[in-house]
Amino acid sequence: MTLPDFALARPDTLEEALALLGDDQVPYCGGTELLLAMKVGLQRPETLVDVKRVPELRGVRSSHGELVIGGASTHDDLSRDALVREVLPLLAEVEAHVGNARVRVQGSIGGNLCFAEPKSDVATTLIALDASVTLQSSSGRRTLLVRDFIVGPYYADKEPGELLIDVRIPLVATRRGAYVKFQVTERPTVGVAVVQDTETGACRVVVGAVGEIPVWRDWASVADIDVEELSSAVDPVEDLTGSERYKRHLTAVFVRRALRDLERSS
Amino acid sequence: MSDPSAREDVIGQSVIRRDLLEKVTGAAEYTVDITMPGALHAKIVRSDRAHARILDIDAREALTLPGVVSVITSDDLRGLYPRFGHIIADHCILAIDKVRYYGEPVALVLAETVHEAADAAELVRVTYEDLAAVLDADQALAPGAPLVHEQRYASSDDDSFRLLTGGKGKVATEAAAELSNVAHQVTLEWGDADAALREADIVVESEVHFPMLYAYAMEPYNAVASYSADGLTVISTAQHPYMVRDDLARIFDLPLSRVRVRAPYLGGGYGSKSYTKVEPLAAVGSWVARRPVKLVLDVEESIYTTRADPADVKITSGFTKDGRILVRVIDMVMDSGAYADNSPLVLAKALNRSFGPYRVPTLRATGRSLYTNTAPASSYRGFGAPQGALAGETNLDQAADRLGITSADIRRLNLVDRDEEILPGKRGLDADIKADLEMVLASLNRDAKDVAGYGVGFACTASDAGAYPVSTAQVRVQTDGSVTVLSGSTEMGQGSRSALAQIASHELGIDMSRVQVVQSDTAITPYERTTGASRTTTLVGLALQRACEDARKRVREMAAEIMACDGDEVTDVPGGVSTPGQAFLSYGDVIKAWFGAAAGEVTGVGLVRREGVTEKMPPFWEIGMVGVAVQVDSDTGVVTVDQLVTVADVGFAINPQAVEAQDLGAATQGLGMALYEELVYDGAQLANANVVDYRVPRATDVPAKLDLMIAQRRDGVGPYGAKGAGEGTLNPVGAAVAAAVARATGKWPDRLPLTPERVWTLISDSGSAKE
Repeated sequence: MTLPDFALARPDTLEEALALLGDDQVPYCGGTELLLAMKVGLQRPETLVDVKRVPELRGVRSSHGELVIGGASTHDDLSRDALVREVLPLLAEVEAHVGNARVRVQGSIGGNLCFAEPKSDVATTLIALDASVTLQSSSGRRTLLVRDFIVGPYYADKEPGELLIDVRIPLVATRRGAYVKFQVTERPTVGVAVVQDTETGACRVVVGAVGEIPVWRDWASVADIDVEELSSAVDPVEDLTGSERYKRHLTAVFVRRALRDLERSS
Repeated sequence: MSDPSAREDVIGQSVIRRDLLEKVTGAAEYTVDITMPGALHAKIVRSDRAHARILDIDAREALTLPGVVSVITSDDLRGLYPRFGHIIADHCILAIDKVRYYGEPVALVLAETVHEAADAAELVRVTYEDLAAVLDADQALAPGAPLVHEQRYASSDDDSFRLLTGGKGKVATEAAAELSNVAHQVTLEWGDADAALREADIVVESEVHFPMLYAYAMEPYNAVASYSADGLTVISTAQHPYMVRDDLARIFDLPLSRVRVRAPYLGGGYGSKSYTKVEPLAAVGSWVARRPVKLVLDVEESIYTTRADPADVKITSGFTKDGRILVRVIDMVMDSGAYADNSPLVLAKALNRSFGPYRVPTLRATGRSLYTNTAPASSYRGFGAPQGALAGETNLDQAADRLGITSADIRRLNLVDRDEEILPGKRGLDADIKADLEMVLASLNRDAKDVAGYGVGFACTASDAGAYPVSTAQVRVQTDGSVTVLSGSTEMGQGSRSALAQIASHELGIDMSRVQVVQSDTAITPYERTTGASRTTTLVGLALQRACEDARKRVREMAAEIMACDGDEVTDVPGGVSTPGQAFLSYGDVIKAWFGAAAGEVTGVGLVRREGVTEKMPPFWEIGMVGVAVQVDSDTGVVTVDQLVTVADVGFAINPQAVEAQDLGAATQGLGMALYEELVYDGAQLANANVVDYRVPRATDVPAKLDLMIAQRRDGVGPYGAKGAGEGTLNPVGAAVAAAVARATGKWPDRLPLTPERVWTLISDSGSAKE
């Protein structure tokens, strides 16, 4: 459990950062996932490219009907950010309860998504909010939805030369949402996000943590939500926090609890 | 000056812990902070299988790495006694011929830096021939099971281990006659159990499983050792430095006086740091390399070093129709892992504590401690009592249900009275346990709620505590009247440093700020057998009182000499003596006058052995009296402990705040085993050898309502009537939570921890919570 040797690069601009990235030159931000992976020998990169000084990765702004969150923003930053709290209180609330205090002050939203940790509260919430990510490499820029970005457990659709610049969430004035999770150990056993457009009544339910990747469903109205269908659609990973049977049961319980909280939200 | 009314301002008052400021500021020194000049760093190469013959260890590649000095295997230990173990010397320092569990040390890499040692350890190639393994108790007991040990080892001839077990009835405590995986077995018996069961009006049988636990301490095992022509010095995170010294002296065949073991502050012990652990590894590393060696384990390695014994317990109790216990029959099997360590004693104590502090006219309790190909088990706070109590107390509650009486009434009917023997021939109960029960019941009743999913449970235990009464202490009175207290008892967070300072302050009539307490260095501090079994306040306290008395006597004699008066004309006064010629002479005045210079000191010595007040075993009974109220979420199975009620029956609380803190800590640790904690083997390896997946209690798990009561009846043999605290309150917690969950759900759980899924299964399935 000792950290292997590595070089540390600290670029000041996006161009410098992108030029440094490669197969063995990986982005480093909070290090809450990367350093652990290195300590247990899962990764042994040659260079850590510290992206925290890159201006494009910092800050939160509203732009063209979207909330744009710099990829290096920490969970703690987002839980306190005045703009996030005003326009997306759901996200601020989720970020305030991610992991533990140390993870929140160190870990970034971009790093969280790039690691595609199956127990991520953030990914589940962002899929419910129909968020997308902006990826950039020296050869160009692309945008894809978070739900497409998360391909598998610990596997995101990102090339080694790409950097997650920002997360973009469409701002919908008539939207409301809720997130509930069941957590006994360090990570959630199940997390459920539900977001509804109160004008059309349409809603999306996303179930995370229980399986390898979040499962999501869109319904025309809350009344149409088929809790049983959702709890049979998830593919629970059996572990010390529960059997498949128990986790399907918990899925149903927490979808109902999320819907109850949704009704209570304004 | 033993009249406690003389200085109530010191004893019986909550004082700020002596170690508080340095610990919260990070300035406190722990073993890991200690470096020795020229020290090498060690990394252990561990077995990656449960049971295998070692065919070859190839260290050639590892030795080519820069900074690597040596790779040590058991072959390098020729000339040494290659094993340790204070009861059964079965524990290989480095695996000899075969490995017996995943994680067993096979080789020790020494290098100039931690990183170099870690990198080289990965390059040591060990070739094994796999052997069939026994991974749990059932496999170990199966006919024709592979043997974990094919030989017997030297057992301790120390009579004290026999005295720590059973009562005067028929007691058998021995290794099995034939070679098997039974490391140790104990029988405790009085009366004719079969006949008594036939006579009983009702017979209640139950069976429980107590989980495999890890006594999580924030500080993992670590040690630094230096072997030289002068002898061996080891600094380690050891609860019992003197016990470790004895093992080390045997390994190197050194005189005890040339083995020095020092224990700075411990970052938590809870029994897991009692007896020898990593000290021999660091020591043999230094013996081979002739340089100091530092060895620091991580949490995973610590879990594979020592865990606690899980237990399967069957209990059958016979009652009269009005609820009196006629007989209890108990059979306990513990999975003690690859080496015995302290498990034989844990087993004996578990049996002593399995039938409860009740009048049990007839008893047959049998227990077996088994070798398995898993990490070795040893002591854990409570020492078998949580295992026994879970079985005995829940059985009693189920009997109450069958008899149609309350859980309170069945206990009122059967609890022993003051001075009544629990174990025949042993010390009678030095407590009013019935009054303690009423305190808990009153508190629980005061806050009772009548809502769905709500349940109240309580349980009582009495542990034969204090371990074996061998304790010594010294006080050195200086020319300025300040005092150094020397004790071999370890400060491991329990607050002994403050309690001992309070006692010395009171006994010598000096301000506490003028008392310095120095602990746990076998070269400097006097002998202390162990720091465990809640013994320090009682036994070290007694030794210290006697040391103070001795010092005062010496000062009186000196004063008589310098004042040319009779010895009986000199009397003690706070901080000094009074003589006919001079109303007040401070200790310093006397010492300086006697030595004839502004120099000198007086040393007082206090000894405790099995005589007088401490002749009868155990030195005292430690009561565990706990009630809880829980709320069960029937949708998820989550158990929330709403209320916790404890009674610390300590005789006299020298530092009341410390007593409360010990009880809250013990109860919270008990909630860990009741609700969250369990080591789970998945084949040869643990599935959760880390504190992410092995869930220990958090600050947010502490119940909303706490009632931490102290019963002070001055009925202990310790100073001012004090008895120990620290373990007692943990012991009944598992049983109390199980009872509360049963009351909330209408079904009796038969195993801990009561994880959400287990409770949900208990609620939603017919039958029990068995998996």
